[in-house]
Amino acid sequence: MSIEFNFEEGANGVATLIIRGDMDMNSSPEVREKLTGMFEKNQKAIIIDLSAVPYIDSSGIATLVEGLQWSHSSKNKFFLAGMTAGVKDVFEIARLLPVFDTFDTPAEALAGCSPQGPA
Amino acid sequence: MTIPVQLTIPSHSKYLCLVRKVLTHLLSNHEAPEDVARKIVLCVDEACSNIIKHGYGGNCDCPIEISFQLENDEFIIKIRDYGKQCDASQFKSRDLEDVKPGGLGLFFITEIMDTVDYCTNREKGTLLTMVKKLGSHVSGAAR
Repeated sequence: MSIEFNFEEGANGVATLIIRGDMDMNSSPEVREKLTGMFEKNQKAIIIDLSAVPYIDSSGIATLVEGLQWSHSSKNKFFLAGMTAGVKDVFEIARLLPVFDTFDTPAEALAGCSPQGPA
Repeated sequence: MTIPVQLTIPSHSKYLCLVRKVLTHLLSNHEAPEDVARKIVLCVDEACSNIIKHGYGGNCDCPIEISFQLENDEFIIKIRDYGKQCDASQFKSRDLEDVKPGGLGLFFITEIMDTVDYCTNREKGTLLTMVKKLGSHVSGAAR
């Protein structure tokens, strides 16, 4: 299964990466490459739309943890949105859900990027 | 299911999705609960990834032999490789307090599976045996 990406750049330096496909050992390097490009642009906030990601393994999680580390070092925001049941399961087993800022939908994540925070 | 379902893949990560598909289908046939099935698939995927990365050191053209078998309510997975043998007693899964990339695969396997055994008592490679109890949900017709 190949992985596909869509990139949406919104107002105020908020960028959304929409991922479609499994995030596994085979595809995680591609995700990492896309994310690195976004980190270098120094976006104020990055939203990862996971609503079309049915499966994630430890390499996919590791890639997203790198996003979290970028967020901590740059003081910018890194949000995960639209986790499927399969992806949420893996985050729960890894006990990483409380560590990330997660939103049910990309729209809610976008609202969380506004200076007023989520509506 | 007394006869195991067997699958051999080359040690390339592009074949991991094939293993996941076969296993997901098989577990669905056995009417394994969806959440348990997802966890078993994760463990098999992580074990194969570890073999590709560590056992074969990234060499993409080596065999990974996988078998799945249901005995009573136990789902038994055997994964055989012919790569570098590792000392299982030295395996370290990640400290979950330490949030950093990597090291989660082994944690998933030990956390999810009921028993995990790495047998290196052979000339080359390792036989990994993982067992997960499926409980009373398993379809008798599929056995």
